[in-house]
Amino acid sequence: MSALEQYSLLLALVAGIAGTVIGLYGLARAMGLTRREQGKDVPASSGVLSRDPVWGRYHARYYGYALLFLAFDMEMAFMYPWAVVYKEVGLVALLDMGVFLAILFLGLLYGWSQGALRRQ
Amino acid sequence: MTVAIVLLTLFGSAWLLAVIEGWTVTGRLRPAAPLISGLAHLGRESIVPRSPDRVFFEAAPVLLLVVAVLGAAVLPLAPDLVIADLGTGALFINAALAYVLVALIMAGWGPNGAYAMIGGWRFLGQLIAYSMLIVMPITAVAMRAESLVNTAIVGSQAALWNIVYQPLGFVLFYIAAMALAFRSPFDLPTAEGELAGGVDAEYTGVRLAVLRLARLTLVVTLASATTVFYLGGWHGPLLPPWAWSLIKTLAVAVSMLLAGGYLPRIREADLMRWCWTLGIPLALLNIVIVGLLILVVP
Repeated sequence: MSALEQYSLLLALVAGIAGTVIGLYGLARAMGLTRREQGKDVPASSGVLSRDPVWGRYHARYYGYALLFLAFDMEMAFMYPWAVVYKEVGLVALLDMGVFLAILFLGLLYGWSQGALRRQ
Repeated sequence: MTVAIVLLTLFGSAWLLAVIEGWTVTGRLRPAAPLISGLAHLGRESIVPRSPDRVFFEAAPVLLLVVAVLGAAVLPLAPDLVIADLGTGALFINAALAYVLVALIMAGWGPNGAYAMIGGWRFLGQLIAYSMLIVMPITAVAMRAESLVNTAIVGSQAALWNIVYQPLGFVLFYIAAMALAFRSPFDLPTAEGELAGGVDAEYTGVRLAVLRLARLTLVVTLASATTVFYLGGWHGPLLPPWAWSLIKTLAVAVSMLLAGGYLPRIREADLMRWCWTLGIPLALLNIVIVGLLILVVP
């Protein structure tokens, strides 16, 4: 199977699953509608209605981790192609990536020493 | 034909998992219970909370199910029993499972309920904790197989399974997979005790049925990924290849289910601290060890 065929098969799978779920929704709807009653559609909030929408701004208390995460996530983009050719290239590949990872790991240690690895 | 077999296996395993989960909770073995409860959900009212973000609310359960099935579609049950054996299969599964976060944030944002929203944002923190422990061990697996094709990864374990070759990677991947599937003790986004169900809280009726099916399917997908990457996939004596894949997948899924039942829920701050101060150094160490093993042992 060519790559194009594989991806179109996966796309068809997505469409099939979504279609099945929509069909289930239709079946449930055919079995009866939701009766409109007062106070039924209040979200779980221990009986107290929130005055504002809950889509306010939350304090991202993990921002120290999040910044380090960006660095590590970018690094993974290089790791996958490197992993495939690793055995072929041999020791040079290990040393190259070793230096890269060591620098990145120093970054992690620096962040750790500065208190980034803590829920703020 | 392949598609039908793989999907049937996937949802069949999800059903079996639900039966076993019910067994551990209620102490009674009732094979029909998941089907009956699923059908009952169809007949119940599916309430939409007031002033929701309707698009996110409707999309979240469907997206979670689609993502779980897409992940399973690139994992082989047997050498020729795989829906799409992509050239970048090991990378594709990462890309697909990244959308679990998107689905959960949508499920938290959509209903406009405070508990759901807190659950959604919590999972973002959880992603920052576990996600490096998913991708880094897979890198070490790809190094040994010299390929990102999932059938080639299983093929590379014919002589020695990866659980023996890189046990450290297996432990990290297994724990991270549990966190990704938000199983207890990592069920921070749902957290029945503190968030009243969190992202599940506002879903009722048929939407809840789809959401629960998606959660179970996700566990099966991750157990299947553990089997393919670490437990030698279809390799095994006597039984046919697909049977070995199925047995290993179910064993991993059940072990995830049971392990969670005996552990207290971990706090988000603790999870992140452990993952970054212990998990990531160990994952890097795993890559170095595997790299040296590949060069030294021919």
